[in-house]
Amino acid sequence: MKIKTMNTLKTIALAAVCIAFTSCSSDDDNTPTPDPIEAELVSNLFAPQTGGQGQPVGGEFAKFDFETGMQTTSDTDWDIAFRGTTIAVNGGTVTGTDDEPARNGDAGATIATGTFASVTTAEGLTFDQDADGSFAIPTGSDNGWYNYNPMVNVVTPIPGKVLVFRTRDGRYAKVEILSYYKDNPSQPDPQTDESRYYTFNYVYNPNEGETSFE
Amino acid sequence: MRLTFCFILFTFCYQTSIGQNEQKTVRDSLKVEKLEEVILTATRTERQLSSLPLPVTLISKKKILQSGTIRLDEILNEQTGIITVTDESGFEGVQIQGIASDYILILIDGVPLVGRSAGNFDLSRLTVGNIKQIEVVKGPSSSLYGSEALGGVINIITEKPKSEELHGNASYRFGSFTQQDINVDIKQRYKKLRYVFFANRFSSEGYDLNPDVDGQTVNPFENYTVNGRIYYDFNDKLSLFTSARFYDQVQDAGFTFNDVAFEGDSKEREWNAHARIDQKWNDRLDTSYELYYTNYTANERLADPISEDVLSDSDFDQKLFRPEIRGNYAFADAGTLTAGFGFQYDELDRTFFDETVSFNSQYAYAQYDFNPVERLNVIAGARFDNHSEYSNQFSPKLAMRYKLTNAISVKGSVGYGFKAPDFRQLYFDFTNSAVGYTVLGYNVALDKLRELREQGQILDVVVSEDDLNNPLEAESSVGYNVGLTFKEGKWNSELNFFRNDIKNLIDTRIIARKTNGQNVFSYVNFDEIYTTGFEINTGYKITNALNLSAGYQLLYAYDKKKQQEVEDGQVFARDPATNQTVAVTQSDNFGLVNRSRHNANFKVFYDIASAKANINLRLLYRSKYAQFDTNGNGLIDTYDTSFIDGYVTTNIAASKTFYDDFTLQVGANNLLDYTDNNIPTLPGIQGYVKLNYQF
Repeated sequence: MKIKTMNTLKTIALAAVCIAFTSCSSDDDNTPTPDPIEAELVSNLFAPQTGGQGQPVGGEFAKFDFETGMQTTSDTDWDIAFRGTTIAVNGGTVTGTDDEPARNGDAGATIATGTFASVTTAEGLTFDQDADGSFAIPTGSDNGWYNYNPMVNVVTPIPGKVLVFRTRDGRYAKVEILSYYKDNPSQPDPQTDESRYYTFNYVYNPNEGETSFE
Repeated sequence: MRLTFCFILFTFCYQTSIGQNEQKTVRDSLKVEKLEEVILTATRTERQLSSLPLPVTLISKKKILQSGTIRLDEILNEQTGIITVTDESGFEGVQIQGIASDYILILIDGVPLVGRSAGNFDLSRLTVGNIKQIEVVKGPSSSLYGSEALGGVINIITEKPKSEELHGNASYRFGSFTQQDINVDIKQRYKKLRYVFFANRFSSEGYDLNPDVDGQTVNPFENYTVNGRIYYDFNDKLSLFTSARFYDQVQDAGFTFNDVAFEGDSKEREWNAHARIDQKWNDRLDTSYELYYTNYTANERLADPISEDVLSDSDFDQKLFRPEIRGNYAFADAGTLTAGFGFQYDELDRTFFDETVSFNSQYAYAQYDFNPVERLNVIAGARFDNHSEYSNQFSPKLAMRYKLTNAISVKGSVGYGFKAPDFRQLYFDFTNSAVGYTVLGYNVALDKLRELREQGQILDVVVSEDDLNNPLEAESSVGYNVGLTFKEGKWNSELNFFRNDIKNLIDTRIIARKTNGQNVFSYVNFDEIYTTGFEINTGYKITNALNLSAGYQLLYAYDKKKQQEVEDGQVFARDPATNQTVAVTQSDNFGLVNRSRHNANFKVFYDIASAKANINLRLLYRSKYAQFDTNGNGLIDTYDTSFIDGYVTTNIAASKTFYDDFTLQVGANNLLDYTDNNIPTLPGIQGYVKLNYQF
């Protein structure tokens, strides 16, 4: 396997939306101001795997923590994790593949349909967790977040699939995966573009239990 | 084959004895004037083209010769509303009224040809040397022809020799890409016996549109077609027709995989044996007894030329046997009743099938062609198919033509068409060794799924077993055609509006997930689509020698469910600038793959009788179309990146006859040298020279 240097995780603050408290008055100085909702773009998160193509799949997952907005190697402080096209959550149990991280949080996932902006809340959604034999985000082409076209050998995130997560500690985030190829090309060429590099937008509400994304 | 022969012999003897008992010879009152263009396909009787209530295209031998076309796909491509296109599978097929090749029946002298690649019938398999005419009936024709005649029927008609002198042709044509076409035919009538012999050899070095990619776009090939026909008229009432046809092609094949250049051959071979006895009982009743057998085989083997490792070795062997009896009865001062019945045995043995599979079907059809009032012609017909593998099909059709004035007629028809699930959809058992997904035919899906589960390959099954127990339905359509014809003086115009509503289209879906993260696919009825638009053709004779014609087809082809989803805002695409999701709107929805909204042609044919020469120019246009869905939302939208721009091809040909017996033809197809890497069937300019010796 080729050795690749890990790309510096670029996090670009796209917008910092503050939910204004309209009822603010000078008497309410003690009311805690909620933390602002974070909207970020993560580029080139590398998620290698071993095996595949009929062989048992293995390799460390690339773990991600919404609280820091960074990739992490922590065994506990992670929410979601990537390996190839597979996405794990830090909630439930191991599914049974090799080299999986232990689940020690209460994360969950579901897939909403719409444009990224149209998913405004996690209210009312049902979250699945990883379980023996199945990931919360189903694996395989057209089952979960991606489509694999064998004609051109390209993995494309299915448009309109917004991944909504409950984090390990009961906060909410939504994710739109933009690309599975390095540097987010508009038309990936499987011959030249390296795969397993995730670029995604996410919106994270850091306030525990709050479901709103705007 | 022995059985076939016995049956022929039996029918033959039996009918001879009956025929000899007939005394009187009566002239056929129904026989149409020789000058008129006559069509067989639309009604299974001889009918004047101009009197038919159906949309029909007739291509004469003269047009084929003058155009310098040598394979069936080339000449059909020049007709309004008929397009040949390469689909996602990489195979080329024909499209009529926006309906794909899978649903177009191909016949020679009324009997079907088999051997399709991913549903596509390769029309370049058929040479157009030595045929009388090509007839194309558009719209559902299952009322006469059964399965596959959902979108239309293409029938190649051969000619019965008339002259007692020996006539024939020998020709040689040489063109770009070392394309060589050699034809020899002889025909003669000797009292009651007539015979035709025809042989063709066609070869090319192929061409390469994209030198950056390993291998050629079209690899070198050579093929042979041999056809012999014998006609014997026992008497005025009884005649025999027999035909044997053989086709053989070898094409180089190559595939580069993991830096190894695999090489091999791709072979195709086809046999057709056709025998028919036509019997005229009296001036009202005639009957035909027909036997037909065909066998199509294809084989492709790819191996590493150094290590001799075999990459792939695939076989395909399809057989069809079909006896049919039909008859026509002309009622006094009324219409003509046509009826027939037959039996069809269809068998396929191929790689990725566990065993040889076969279908049986029995069918009967009837059609009544009459004029309730002088100006109104009505054809009403229906066919019943009983099939061993899917539910029975009843296919009615009604067509009417009303003569408004001597120049103008109105016509309309409505018909049902169907296509039986094919062998692949029922019996396929294929696992992609590189990626690991599996495709299972519907009838074997349950058993195969159990096998996979026992091997521990299945994670979970996502459809219920009940879903897989109900038989797969035939794909079916209802087609409507309404039009006007106008014919006066030098003008000749035809307008036809069409709509085809197709349901139960068979497509693949995921039935289970595998432990390797891949899926198990099988076939299911689910899509509903429609194609609609209109076609207009106009011809104008400036003089007897100079003819202009123009044609245009407007086409809308959509998946109904997808259209609804777009309306509901449930279909998404990615903005190529940011890769972010956007909702697809109705105006973004382009419809189905490989459909061009506009298709037009313009032709000039000029005969210079004094110089025994003719020259013609044909311009063909098709507007942009998309090859496949690139953004995974299941439809073609403006965000897809597989669009092929609209383009024009310009074809010219000129012929001159000299010393009475020789004709020299020079021509060029695609004169303006238009190419696109994504149109594999369109090489650059192809010039050619042909010399024909006729005797």
